[in-house]
Amino acid sequence: MFKRAFFHGLAASVLAAIVGIIYNRIYFFATEADFSKVLNIGSITGISVMVCMLATFIYFGLATWLKKTGEIVFNLLFSIISFACVMIPISISLPLSIKTPELFPGLAVPMVFFPALAWYTLKPLFTGSNR
Amino acid sequence: MKKLIYPAAAVALFFASAFTVIKSQDWKIAEGYSIKFDGGDPSGEFGGLKGTISFDANDLANSRFSTSIDVASINTGNGMKNTHAKSEKWFDAAKYPTITFTSSSIAKTASGYAATGTLDMHGVQKPVTIPFTFDGSTFKGSFEVNRMDYNVNTAEPAHGSQKFKVDITVPVSK
Repeated sequence: MFKRAFFHGLAASVLAAIVGIIYNRIYFFATEADFSKVLNIGSITGISVMVCMLATFIYFGLATWLKKTGEIVFNLLFSIISFACVMIPISISLPLSIKTPELFPGLAVPMVFFPALAWYTLKPLFTGSNR
Repeated sequence: MKKLIYPAAAVALFFASAFTVIKSQDWKIAEGYSIKFDGGDPSGEFGGLKGTISFDANDLANSRFSTSIDVASINTGNGMKNTHAKSEKWFDAAKYPTITFTSSSIAKTASGYAATGTLDMHGVQKPVTIPFTFDGSTFKGSFEVNRMDYNVNTAEPAHGSQKFKVDITVPVSK
């Protein structure tokens, strides 16, 4: 059932966003580096929802297509893509008004794993047939 | 001897006032300046601008720029690129911590002024001419630099851009 997958994705996006916002605040207090032009409550929430909704569609598609191994393939794919996304904050060029781009990967690299972590964390609550 | 006190005071005042006239042409670099470079990839800016600016549109012969920027202040917007730019392979900020420009002459042009002088970068001194304008509170100039002329990573001529457009905006106050 797509409904279950949808609520799983929605709950994961909320959890990933909350964790991301909390980590963003902790990182700011620890380093005093202000990346609010790039990562703020709005963008963190938006990215979390976008990634988790995309994951919902991919999960549902794989679970429907590969009935036995769909979830295994999805988990593997989600982990690999999350790991590959580490390159995004490392290679991105920030606005020049941000004076400490060296500290940006320290903030953004852990965040790329939050949607996947949230998805896996909440998975037991959404077990059952998703087809 | 007493008779000489007043003439001496007058002479002293005369020279002191002349000195203040010369000093009044000095400008202090204000906050909000920018030294941006654009080579496509990479692009960015430098900070740490210091130096003396003596400029009088009516006395270009006595006008002079002597400025420097801090190489370690380079910001491309990407931490990895910043680290590379400061490394021995590129600007070698540890060995050459500043880039300096010292003018030797300033001339009036059709669109503003042109400062001719020496650009010292990466241990290489080259003559350059920087066209600029001045509206009474801000200097704006633009010129082109080829990194190969200054031996900046000559081992990799195709790595990134060779030519960079440098845009300078320096607000000043007296």
